[in-house]
Amino acid sequence: MTALVRAEWTKLFTTRVWIGLLAGACVMAGGFAALLTGLAGQEGGPPPVGSPDYEALALAVAANAVVFALILGIIGMTQEFRHRTATPTFLTTPRRGRVVVAKLVAYALAAVPFALAAVAVTVAVVVVYAGARGAAPSLTGENAEVLLSAGLAIVVYAVIGVGLGALLRNQVGAIVGALVYLYVVEPLLSAFSATAAVYKWLPGGALEAMTTTFRGPQAIAPDLLERWQGGLLLLGYGLVAALVGTLLSVRRDVV
Amino acid sequence: MGTSPGRREESAIHPGSSRHRDPVRVEVRSLSKSFGAVRAVSDLSFTVEPGAVTGFLGPNGAGKTTTLRMVLGLERPDTGTATFDGVAYPDLPSPVRRVGAVLETAFHPARSGRNHLRVYCRAAGLPVTRADEVLAQVGLADAGRRRAGGYSLGMRQRLALATALLGDPAVLVLDEPANGLDPEGIHWLRGFLRHLAHDEGRTVLVSSHLLAEMEQTADRVVIVGAGRLVREGSLAELRSGAQGSGAVLVRSPEAGRLAEVLGAAGFAVAPSEDGRVTVTGTTPDAVGAQAFRAGVELHELRAETSGLEELYFRLTAGQEQYAAPQGATR
Repeated sequence: MTALVRAEWTKLFTTRVWIGLLAGACVMAGGFAALLTGLAGQEGGPPPVGSPDYEALALAVAANAVVFALILGIIGMTQEFRHRTATPTFLTTPRRGRVVVAKLVAYALAAVPFALAAVAVTVAVVVVYAGARGAAPSLTGENAEVLLSAGLAIVVYAVIGVGLGALLRNQVGAIVGALVYLYVVEPLLSAFSATAAVYKWLPGGALEAMTTTFRGPQAIAPDLLERWQGGLLLLGYGLVAALVGTLLSVRRDVV
Repeated sequence: MGTSPGRREESAIHPGSSRHRDPVRVEVRSLSKSFGAVRAVSDLSFTVEPGAVTGFLGPNGAGKTTTLRMVLGLERPDTGTATFDGVAYPDLPSPVRRVGAVLETAFHPARSGRNHLRVYCRAAGLPVTRADEVLAQVGLADAGRRRAGGYSLGMRQRLALATALLGDPAVLVLDEPANGLDPEGIHWLRGFLRHLAHDEGRTVLVSSHLLAEMEQTADRVVIVGAGRLVREGSLAELRSGAQGSGAVLVRSPEAGRLAEVLGAAGFAVAPSEDGRVTVTGTTPDAVGAQAFRAGVELHELRAETSGLEELYFRLTAGQEQYAAPQGATR
């Protein structure tokens, strides 16, 4: 299994896809952190710099990088079918489930430095910019918890990406489907009170549970799981997708 | 991530030495596979012996690729088995070290040929230095660091062959490996396959839809048509059975008289207008002898198709998936 995980890393690092996705993750995290800090304290904007609410909110933007980790995982799995390397891959490892497990492990581990980079950029932007505006946040207590959750969410989304890729096999379909789901379907579901109860059990709700920083009045607080519950639920989505994908899709004849 | 090989999982390979490589026999027994209503392979059985090149021949759509994919565990047969010394491909403890296969010539376009090979070195627990060794073996050493997306079809064939050779396997299974090769490449491949089988004792199974390609490469042939076994045997056996069944083309200033003479002697003759006569079911020797006895001047005398080609046409006639109307092309 170690050999198979190393083979997946060789595949990952011998094309340049990861560079673009890592850059995208860092730009997105850093950009949102800067925007939020710049608007902080304005009329109708985020809470003012120096307040605990602002700090938690600003540091949590690192979690926006999950979408890049998701795409990384999807490409990692679906490239085998897109570029027809599934044939030599399955010839080398005829037990196809082992290939999927190796990819899950390889991409979860590869997502760790990926997550660290996104978190580090977020921290750097927030500390420098908010510091210039008067008060750099501390990186202890709840702030540290927010950063850790955001980082873990990024890792878990890479796992979900591999699972989704195993299920769908089609690269473009999987990426487009995932983006439409994350940015169109889920926001709609969370907006209606009729479906809001379901939303907390969906990937987006679970992600929000992991990284939420809402501290307003209890009455208008979104109905979400605990942080750790959200994390486990997300991981469960990824692993179930990988399992179902292996049973139904990956084991199908390679055309 | 370091690049040093994890020694624990790797063991050295000594290319060319046959000491560690036991001969392996491939046995295909009663394989069948249908796709919907289309029966791609029907009750197909044959054996592939070590130390020889076995040509797997048949027209396009005869089920060759489907058969090879079932042999390699990529598709599940409806019935039947395919084994390597009694073991099915997915059950081989280290399949890459026993069997090397070329089925696809598709690669990740952005990855270099060398890195492509290194991926499979790692996955199979082989030292990554094997990548450079097999690149040199197939004559791609200079192109190894270039992106595979820029390779010509011939280079892709060579890279696919290099992938198959990584584990120094006892068996090679190659699907149409000559496709896209230039004449020089085909000549090289022919020699290379014969070397792997005859000098190194490997079992080589190579598919093709062209008999001419196999006539100079294979020792044995397995001919399939419409998913069924049509003929299995050594090329020499087949050739002797087909002796004298080819077509002979003769050109003569006295074409009319030649046609008469040959026809009177019992040959099947088809004269055409420009001084040519085609004689079927015989050899150039017999036609030449007859013309000499009759004193007919000849300007050309040659075999248009060999007896073997004629036999192959006959065996597989009408079994192409999209067969042309009879006589329209050949």
